[in-house]
Amino acid sequence: MWLPVMGLVIGIILGLLTEIRIPEEYSNYLSIAVLAAFDTLFGGIRAYLQNIYDEKVFVSGFFFNIMLAASLAFLGVHLGVDLYLAAVFAFGVRLFQNIAVIRRILLTKWTTNKEKIEKS
Amino acid sequence: MDKKKINLSLTLIAILVGFMIAIQFQTMKKPVERDTRDVWQLREALLQEKELQSNLLSEIRSNEEKLSAYESKRKQSKEQALKDTLQELKMEAGLTEISGPGITIQIEPVMEDVQLGAPLTNVVSPELLKRLLNELNMYEAKYVAIDGQRTINTTVIRDINGETKIDGHTLKSLPIEIKVGVDDMKSAEKLSNQMKVSKAGDEFFTESLRLTVSGPNPTIIIPAYDHSIRIKYMEPIKEGGGS
Repeated sequence: MWLPVMGLVIGIILGLLTEIRIPEEYSNYLSIAVLAAFDTLFGGIRAYLQNIYDEKVFVSGFFFNIMLAASLAFLGVHLGVDLYLAAVFAFGVRLFQNIAVIRRILLTKWTTNKEKIEKS
Repeated sequence: MDKKKINLSLTLIAILVGFMIAIQFQTMKKPVERDTRDVWQLREALLQEKELQSNLLSEIRSNEEKLSAYESKRKQSKEQALKDTLQELKMEAGLTEISGPGITIQIEPVMEDVQLGAPLTNVVSPELLKRLLNELNMYEAKYVAIDGQRTINTTVIRDINGETKIDGHTLKSLPIEIKVGVDDMKSAEKLSNQMKVSKAGDEFFTESLRLTVSGPNPTIIIPAYDHSIRIKYMEPIKEGGGS
């Protein structure tokens, strides 16, 4: 379980070290892509904890969500409607839900572990 | 489920996410630098910038001056080239007076041949003149003037009512002087020798005319063609035109 966290840290360090900057006008797309990636990541963690993890779903969902979010933002820019807000909203809500589910699962695990320790 | 595999893909995607986050973070992070200079420092900076500006302006001005100088030079040279070409073409067409090496040929009546009672020949037939001219041209004569009348490419020599005319100029009285110009003394000498031994002398003699060819002369003056050249059937070539 520690490996993904390590990966996240490694990615951040790599990104900071390379000092890549994207142009201001594209930062919208990247931000929404980051949001989508976060959503997928937490969704994956939740599924893993619930033991319904499917790698294909996870990987395809990751890339598909990112692309969908980016194209939604693109469409929004060209239509003059802030469509990326829709993506932000959807991903934000799902992010909160996923984190809540993860918290509950972890809580129940913790409490059962505690009970086990108390029993023994 | 293969746990290792799950971890691998999760890790890869986590790296990707981390990378994206870092880039986004860096993009959003703006340089935070407060301007803490006081009025005097600001004034100094302004002064420096103004100096730089004035330097740049003077540089621009000098460059522009240079540019205009080059431009005017270029224009002048163009004009000069055009003038030169025009002069050259005029010279070739026979519109300028030429002074240079050459020979003179005298045509005079043969006094010994004059018979009592017979009319004196005082007309050079156009055929003879044409033959002479052709011969001269064959021997690389460049500029020819017959009796002070310059001959050019379109010159006509013909008989009108018993008078030989060159482009409307009547050859009246003998002797007639023909001036022939060439490029240099060497060819003048050659031309003189060739004319001395040519058949033209004999041909003239049969018409009771004597041809006296002078030796090479370093400076003879050949007048310009004084009529306007009429061009009827010539047209400039269209640029890039096929036929």
